[in-house]
Amino acid sequence: MTPGLRTVARAALAAGAALSLVPGGAAASPSPPLRVFAAASLGDAFREIGAAFEATHPGIRVELECGGSAQLRVQIEQGAPADVFAAADLETVESLERAGRTDRARTFATNRLVVVTPARAAGVATLAGLGRRGVRLALAGPSVPAGRYAASAIAAMDRSRRYGPRFAARVRANIVSEETSVRAALTRVALGEADAAFVYATDAASAASRVRVIAIPDSLAPPVCYGIARVLGSSRHPAAPAFVAFVTGPAGGAILRRFGFGA
Amino acid sequence: MRRTRARPRGPGGRALDAAALALPLFYALPLSALLFASHPARWLPRLASPLALRALVLTVETTLVATVLSIALGLPLARLLARGSFRGRRALGLIVDLPIALPPVVAGVALLLAFGRQGWLGGALELAGAHIAFSRVAVVIAQVFIASPFFVRAARAGFAAADPALERAALTLGASPWRVFVTVSLPLARPALLAGAALTWARALSEFGATMMFAGNFPGRTQTLALAVMSAMESDLDTAVAVAALALALAVVALLAARALARRAGADDA
Repeated sequence: MTPGLRTVARAALAAGAALSLVPGGAAASPSPPLRVFAAASLGDAFREIGAAFEATHPGIRVELECGGSAQLRVQIEQGAPADVFAAADLETVESLERAGRTDRARTFATNRLVVVTPARAAGVATLAGLGRRGVRLALAGPSVPAGRYAASAIAAMDRSRRYGPRFAARVRANIVSEETSVRAALTRVALGEADAAFVYATDAASAASRVRVIAIPDSLAPPVCYGIARVLGSSRHPAAPAFVAFVTGPAGGAILRRFGFGA
Repeated sequence: MRRTRARPRGPGGRALDAAALALPLFYALPLSALLFASHPARWLPRLASPLALRALVLTVETTLVATVLSIALGLPLARLLARGSFRGRRALGLIVDLPIALPPVVAGVALLLAFGRQGWLGGALELAGAHIAFSRVAVVIAQVFIASPFFVRAARAGFAAADPALERAALTLGASPWRVFVTVSLPLARPALLAGAALTWARALSEFGATMMFAGNFPGRTQTLALAVMSAMESDLDTAVAVAALALALAVVALLAARALARRAGADDA
């Protein structure tokens, strides 16, 4: 070896040795965490479900990552290390199942879509007000389940002819921001920056002091069904099926119901 | 005679050269993956999609306005910081550097709390009819907040590097401070000013967090290229790659413009 290459080789060996000491490598930690990717609206409920699962399964640590269902789906598609995926609609999970990324997708909870408006600012008084000129409406983007549910609700309200002519067009003209998650839309209203937003009833409850809820009639509200599945892959956590069973079973259902989901 | 660059030769020279290649490879790998991991035939057609074109036009318009504002407002400030001697000069310099150290999304929250509807000034502005949040104005404001400090720093260094004796000479010859600034200080600092302007434009082009938070995300109105990539990523990777390629192309244009302008300015002085 020439003197120069010897120096490089020594440096590489030293760097490799140093890197292997960095915590987070699979060999270093006692047992890898169970990684759950969950829709933004599931955050609070799943934190408690995770804690309950850890209590009944000692030695297993649950790591929860929340975000817009669409964003999480893309991350899993690109190989993100998730063991379980819970999304705000069945279709998002089924699309991964069709691509061979997850096990069978199942529904495990339902929710209701509502409209929220700031508690301490003018905002919007009724659903018809959503079509009023100058109203600032925030909602999740069209690729996010909450955005699709909102679009479906607006279309249904338009078809019912109960909210004035060209309702859907007037409402769409009031959209000021397409957020990546339903929680971001909620925050716009909670901060008073937007006059109204389409969110889930459970999200509205989490910000109860800062928002007022306007219910959408049952006949016009879209059915909101959450889907869950185990992510497939060689290095997936062995307790993943147990977690899915926990969520879809009586223990998980009780926690979900306490947070306002139908289960 | 063989052209050689002055470089220390001897043991270890090649190792250092090899180590030097690590960063360029680190930059080149993801950028190549961006353009070629998905076959270009799949994303090239998406360059003409409405989402991509609207984001491109909006980004170019807002970043140019933001850069011009940064220059106009930054020149007097940089001059003051470079030449002035007053109590509090160091504090002023610190404030100017703050936006650089702040995470952009934090800057976005701060802008919202200041200029949003429920913010300090927001209420008064709304009454005056100026709806700032969720508008193009908000996009420009966010870009100026994040990018202008880069111009101020570059301009300050440019002014400071120039020989103050030349400015003093002009003053003794009877020129007003304004005339001195325009005919002596500016031309002397020109390469630094041009490079700073290009860097400012590049930073405005890549602005994401503050824009997302303060201006929101709406196609055609506030959805810049960076926000468009994020939105497209959720539904269609090919469109996302096309928009990302546009952003990359603009960045290259900004950098090439910076070098060309600086080189021309340098040649004029030669």
